Amino acid sequence: MSAVTATQGTGIGTGTGRRRRSAWIQRRDRRGIWFVVPFLVGFVLFMIVPLVYAVYTSLYTTKIIGGTVFSGASNYTQTLQSSQFWSGVVRVIIYAAIQIPVMLAIAFFFACVFDLGVAKFGRTFRTIFFIPFAVPAVVGAVMWSFLLEPQFGPMVHLANAFGFSGTNFFSPSLILPSIIVIVIWEWTGYNMVILYTALKSVPRDVVEAAILDDTPLWRIIVRIKLPLVRPAIVLLIFLNTIGALQLFTEPLILSYFETGSVSVNFTPTLYLYNTAIAADQTNLAAAGAVILGLVIVVISTASLLFRKRRGEFS
Amino acid sequence: MTELKGRGPDPAASQGAAVPPGLTSDEGARREGGTSRAARRRAARLERRAAEIESVIPVELYGLRRGTVTLLTTLAFLFAIFTLVPIAWIVINSTKTQANIFETFGFWFARPFSFFHNFSLLFQDVDGYGTYIQWFANTALYAVIGGGGATVLSAFAGYGFSRYSFRGSKVLFYLTLAALLVPITALTLPLYLTYAKAHLINSIWGMILPSMISPVGIYLMKVYTDISVPRELIDAARIDGAGEARIFFRVALPLMVPGFMTVLLISVVAVWNNYFLPLLIFNVNTKYPLTVGLGLWSERAQNSGNAQLFPMVVIGGLVTIIPLIALFLLLQRYWRGGMLLGSIAN
Repeated sequence: MSAVTATQGTGIGTGTGRRRRSAWIQRRDRRGIWFVVPFLVGFVLFMIVPLVYAVYTSLYTTKIIGGTVFSGASNYTQTLQSSQFWSGVVRVIIYAAIQIPVMLAIAFFFACVFDLGVAKFGRTFRTIFFIPFAVPAVVGAVMWSFLLEPQFGPMVHLANAFGFSGTNFFSPSLILPSIIVIVIWEWTGYNMVILYTALKSVPRDVVEAAILDDTPLWRIIVRIKLPLVRPAIVLLIFLNTIGALQLFTEPLILSYFETGSVSVNFTPTLYLYNTAIAADQTNLAAAGAVILGLVIVVISTASLLFRKRRGEFS
Repeated sequence: MTELKGRGPDPAASQGAAVPPGLTSDEGARREGGTSRAARRRAARLERRAAEIESVIPVELYGLRRGTVTLLTTLAFLFAIFTLVPIAWIVINSTKTQANIFETFGFWFARPFSFFHNFSLLFQDVDGYGTYIQWFANTALYAVIGGGGATVLSAFAGYGFSRYSFRGSKVLFYLTLAALLVPITALTLPLYLTYAKAHLINSIWGMILPSMISPVGIYLMKVYTDISVPRELIDAARIDGAGEARIFFRVALPLMVPGFMTVLLISVVAVWNNYFLPLLIFNVNTKYPLTVGLGLWSERAQNSGNAQLFPMVVIGGLVTIIPLIALFLLLQRYWRGGMLLGSIAN
């Protein structure tokens, strides 16, 4: 910190003058906290307090007879032993392991194509691909529910026309792939724009030198461009992992359109929602929220560290 | 940063504004204000386009086989169709009656043309499940105050973290970054439990105030301030006797505008699209935002035999997405430019 203030002081006055000036700057620097205070108040009230209260609540149990009593870790052991909770966790991990690589592959492919300018109308396509980002997940899920709906959905007619008669996109075997398609529809454009911007910052002369060496295009992409945008890819994996593990809106809306297609514990977030609201077991849900939060932090951080490590060695 | 390129002095506009004799160039520019601003904007756009074209290496140099460009364009076209199919469906079916939504071909129009009838239903409380127009007003209120507030707080805090070093500033900034790790779900449920205890269920402030706390926004504003507001400028203003607040509003904020707009866009969209928090904290339909209202209609239409709600879900969905798509098309340069990348650079 002192280094910073010294730099600020350079070029002004002599030695003693500089010291006086940097003391003056330090005094003004302390006023900077007033810029941060409004946020800090909200941060404490709407993040710290609820989290602390959730931990507190999770240590109690409310009984119909006897009121609220301290129950220690019993809500935690109950959640950790609940196969309902864990089957949801396993499902979103499988979902993330399929959805994220597929989406990032598509996003990276198109980001490269538009960056290289090897397809026509790149600008128009980029705008179109980004549109779903502006569509709320609820509306996206509603639109896709109508399209995939087993009795009337046009996609079912299409599948029948192609010879897949009796296709039911809401059946237990196809519900997860359907959700994956919906989420890919929602998020590919956003990821593509970020990767495209990252690719744009790859120095042009590096690519030109490679062209002069007769390097084939795919090699330029894999050997030059991909390593240079690795930080962007790592961050996208991280952000998408956090998002995927919290999957909630799409399965809930699909369950409105086809009762029974999505179980109450389909994802951990749905499980928490149903535990807190439908079953009114708030103490148990609080413990679940704490566990889910920790699981997500661990998995997403692990994905970040793992990728970083690999990046260092290759 | 592409948008910065367009902000430089541009020769076309200044040449175009001819100065009548007897006026200083300043006055001339002011008199021609309307046209020259448009001209300048057009020139800036052309310049940006030119810079973009220049940065692209000619396709021929890659030594591609004939037809590769056609093939890749076709693939992009197919993905564009995939992207537009649901949008096309919702536009077409907003013109249909309830029976026709299910009985006619989904990707073509059918008689009778029911768009205006469907649209009028958005202003009524059908079956007591709530009025769409009220949800729209609620959403706009939450998005403008919540998203706008998030942007203002992020600009303040981002600037504070970027250009001041006070006791604990580093720790507080890392704490803010750590908050990025906390999953929204794991935060929203505790928020709901706290509201239940504090009797804040069904309070609009319970929706608006947490929306103003945006760690992502603060991070983006800090990164943007780092690169766009020079310390020397702040020091110079201090020597001139300006107070810290005045420096922020008069010196720093104008330089932060592109970053400010990007954070505003992201924050407004985040509130507009939020579903989980309002779903938990509101249980009277007069407080609902669009997302919760449309979710409720979908559920009732299917499960309570209120099939007349289906056309309303369709047209309601369409009216929900139009403002946001328009906003994105208008503010393209803020998400096109380097700002989203700024979130990754460090």
